[in-house]
Amino acid sequence: MLEEFTFTLLISVLAINFLISIYGIVYRRSLTKKLISLTILSDTVFVAIILAGLIYTYPIVPPVYSDMQGGEAEFLATHASDPLPQALVLTGIVIGLATNSLIAFGIIQTYRLTGTIDARKAVKTLLEEGAEY
Amino acid sequence: MKRVIVLVVLVLIAVVSSVITPLVISIEVPRYLKDLSRYYIINTIKDTASPEAVAAIVWDYRGLDTVYETLVLYLAIVGGLTIFMYTGELARKTPVGLTLLSRTATKIITVLISTVSAAIAFHGHLTPGGGFPGGSALAVATMLIIPVFSINTLLEKGVTSTKLVAIRGVSLTGLGLVALLPVIRGLEIVTNQRFYPGYLDGFILSGSISLYNLLEFLAVASGFTAVALYLSIPEEYYKGGDNA
Repeated sequence: MLEEFTFTLLISVLAINFLISIYGIVYRRSLTKKLISLTILSDTVFVAIILAGLIYTYPIVPPVYSDMQGGEAEFLATHASDPLPQALVLTGIVIGLATNSLIAFGIIQTYRLTGTIDARKAVKTLLEEGAEY
Repeated sequence: MKRVIVLVVLVLIAVVSSVITPLVISIEVPRYLKDLSRYYIINTIKDTASPEAVAAIVWDYRGLDTVYETLVLYLAIVGGLTIFMYTGELARKTPVGLTLLSRTATKIITVLISTVSAAIAFHGHLTPGGGFPGGSALAVATMLIIPVFSINTLLEKGVTSTKLVAIRGVSLTGLGLVALLPVIRGLEIVTNQRFYPGYLDGFILSGSISLYNLLEFLAVASGFTAVALYLSIPEEYYKGGDNA
């Protein structure tokens, strides 16, 4: 019962996190807050992917051999956490950081062109002034 | 106060839903690995000569995916640097920085971070870690130097964005070559064990995995350091003000 409770609690918290970040991306006007919500969303997805590789067993160990003879294969096959989601998230975090920095560059550029980071005001300013870029 | 109430309500919703859900539907808590992951764990030493299953998946089993992800990383950083293109000279002001205490602490911490990041990257085929986290950790060291000392300190030490972009280009080209070389002998792209040696004089190299980790470490670290440098160029240079 306790295992089901913790597992469902994790999923519920992730669902709430997901909704908060969607709210931030759609409803918040500030582009910076949109970016922060986007990072929350991507982190939620990463935790969800890691959660897909979680197994309830004891003891749980990382999928790393301590010798090159491969003697622990049977133990690791039953007690190691799933390496595949970890590998996906490992690269995903760095790619996310790179794309987030690209978005940050874009937000700063928007501020330079329009003098605001309010998404609606920025669009309005650009439409009124005409595109110079 | 209003935010606290919202937080309490959200936590309550999470707890209540997690109590009710197992009563309404039967939730299966995962207790065994999936067959694919089990295969990866059991065969990682035999297939890739790497005792670490995550590194084996990243650079061997799913190596082609990671090469393409590196391409995304490359393009995202190139896009950012293109928007922020600044070709003029930065005026060399005397660096002021923060207090002596924070500067001394940062010096110690920076050395520690650099050492740890190198360990993360170069042991990436043996222990958890690899080129991506190692490079990000090294970039954190320079991101720490910029606010505590100044961007001018970095520029005086010769850490310029031109050099960083060059290092990044060279290491990404190397990465592409490591991935492409097996094609010469008629093997598939991103082949590991059938082309690269797994062991060298008793040392575990894990074939191409250690090479990929080294090159990815350089690429990620120099890329993110270049981003940090560009982001900390003062705004007046872009506006062409008096200081520019």
